[in-house]
Amino acid sequence: MSTLTRLTPLAVLLIVVVALVAPDPGPTAAAGKLSLWRLKTYIPPADKILDANAQECAKKAGMELAIQTYTFDDMWTKYTAAIESKTLPDIAELDAVGPARLANLGRLSDMSDVVGGVTKELGPILANAEGAVKFGGKYYAVPHYGIPLVLFYRKDILEKIGAEPPDTWEAIQQISQKVKQAGIHDFPNGFPWNRTGDGYDPAMSLLWSYGAAWVDKSGKFTGIPKGPAVQALKVVTSAYLVDKTAAFDYLSWSGSTNNESFMAGKITFTPNGPSILFQEESNKHPLQKDTAIKLMPKGPAGRNLALTFVMNWGVPVDGKQQKEAKAVVGCIMSRTQWMKYMTGSFQQAVPLFARPLDDPYWNTPNGKTIVETVKLGHPVGWPGPTTPAAAEVVSSNVLTDMITQVIVDKVTPEAAVDEANKRIKEIYDRLPVK
Amino acid sequence: MLTDRHREQLLGYTMIAPVAIFLAALVAYPFLSAIYLSLTEKIVGYPAHFVGLRNYANLLDSGRFRIVAWNSAVFTVASIAVKLVIGMAMALALHQVVRGNQFIRGILLLPWIIPTVVIALTWKWLLDLFRGLVNVTLIDVGVVKSGVHWLGDPSLAMLSVVMANIWRGFPFFGVSFLAALQTVPQELYDAADVDGAGSWQKFWRITLPSIKSVVAVVTLLSTIVTLNDFNIVFIMTRGGPGAATHIFATYSYELGIMSQRWGVAMAASMASLPLVALLIVGVVRYLHREEE
Repeated sequence: MSTLTRLTPLAVLLIVVVALVAPDPGPTAAAGKLSLWRLKTYIPPADKILDANAQECAKKAGMELAIQTYTFDDMWTKYTAAIESKTLPDIAELDAVGPARLANLGRLSDMSDVVGGVTKELGPILANAEGAVKFGGKYYAVPHYGIPLVLFYRKDILEKIGAEPPDTWEAIQQISQKVKQAGIHDFPNGFPWNRTGDGYDPAMSLLWSYGAAWVDKSGKFTGIPKGPAVQALKVVTSAYLVDKTAAFDYLSWSGSTNNESFMAGKITFTPNGPSILFQEESNKHPLQKDTAIKLMPKGPAGRNLALTFVMNWGVPVDGKQQKEAKAVVGCIMSRTQWMKYMTGSFQQAVPLFARPLDDPYWNTPNGKTIVETVKLGHPVGWPGPTTPAAAEVVSSNVLTDMITQVIVDKVTPEAAVDEANKRIKEIYDRLPVK
Repeated sequence: MLTDRHREQLLGYTMIAPVAIFLAALVAYPFLSAIYLSLTEKIVGYPAHFVGLRNYANLLDSGRFRIVAWNSAVFTVASIAVKLVIGMAMALALHQVVRGNQFIRGILLLPWIIPTVVIALTWKWLLDLFRGLVNVTLIDVGVVKSGVHWLGDPSLAMLSVVMANIWRGFPFFGVSFLAALQTVPQELYDAADVDGAGSWQKFWRITLPSIKSVVAVVTLLSTIVTLNDFNIVFIMTRGGPGAATHIFATYSYELGIMSQRWGVAMAASMASLPLVALLIVGVVRYLHREEE
């Protein structure tokens, strides 16, 4: 018997085995693979809905989708490595400064067509969200949602001392003093001024509400006006240095320590996203009935809130399947998918398009405050657009360092403002606004 | 035609080639690349431009960097000094233990094998102003009336991160010293006993001189690791309050990742290199002298 004859039955057997063992490609086999990176939020049920939506959209586009997550803490570690190694995902959920940074590098596709499609279903983009995604007349990202920072306070404590919920920065200091004097909390004022969003977002709201923005409307550096900035610094640092209503430990808090301290009943005020409401609701927390939220305070120049926690969908140019990636983004932002996500987000995901803002879902006392916060919010770099330089002012902690210099290093507010101006000028000199 | 000697040389080079290539790829290239980057203006996503020593000059001119350098020195020196003392005490004590020696050694090694992230989070919780075990205990036993600001007071924050670092690192000292102690001949101690030497004299005259090479190497290695530590400070304080615990690693992270300025971030992390190089040269020369 020849070798060929002997091997034939073996070959047939091999073919049969392979045919039986090999996975069935199925009638709707994916034409390709897409990768998507998204933020892991403090609301896991909302994340699940988003993932399900994204998978459904990918399936419609005939694609397989691999989802990876990051937190606010490691987002830029992941993106920095990907930018350098040219391995950005096909679909990138970017924070408030991400579109400006990546578009400036020429790494984001023009998303104007997708935005056009989304606005037909969800209405126009909010003007304040547009500054973070539109550059040179083109949209480089699709606004996904905003997580508004609101003022959490204990309404039972305020009732006990006969105080109205505070509406100004000064009122927070005054009420904190009363709470301390009443012996309810040693350190009621939970504004941390640390290196997390709970620090730098209120820092911008504070400065802007005192009229101390550092750029003009075109985004060019003009310097922090010294008078208003010093006034603002004196108000908030007195809580640490004079009234002792805030503890130095707050300056080292992580992004979740203020949530924990508030829910442990140790502080009266703290700035935070709506995640505390979700945590109290899901744990049936005893403080739920005593927890209330309010718009962040206003100052002499008005209520100029920062809208720092804004997430946007970008499609990096590195990807080979741009069309499909854009189709998936368009689908995730379609009315049906968006409403599923929004209404399952425990009021964390606030739309940045006009129409869903009027949905009855927001027609609750907390919902109204949350929506109002987003409507009043300004993008990073206000009153100009979000620029790479404005992004770096936030990410290099210049603003919170200015405040902590007064508290920790005991420099005068005037000297702290001078130092901050020097650092911001250096950033704008290095990253000039185009 | 190759001679035997040449053939032997060729074989020798061939045998060490894989290791040499491995070291070049994984050690030399990243190291040289980091040095090169520190001499450039390199922003993430853009090409690097050579700027010579400008990054270093700017850092030296920066008040913030001077604070970071001072903090790094305090963090490292304080951590190493205490780890050295506790590690030595641990080794001497364990050296005397006969029963359960292995078990105790295993327990004492725990801090060293637990991931640093877990250690940092645990210490952060222990020292929490409101709910931390340390403050709750101090208040309960009446030592203080209200919680101590371990992570908020600038000097206590540095003390806190140093404490966490010591807790993590002292077993390395202890176990290394213990291994060295077991090589010291018992006859030396017996002779010293005959001469009427006390415990202190035996430690200074026999124990320490016998294990000083190990002490030098362990101290050097731990100094390098401590100087480059990131996790403990980043998780416990993020370099705060203000810049009170900002050290080289956290500062480089802030510059390189958050601000996307790789060139200057590399320069900041390279700043400790001359000191480390001096230490390495010093220890190596010392060890050579000892061998001779």
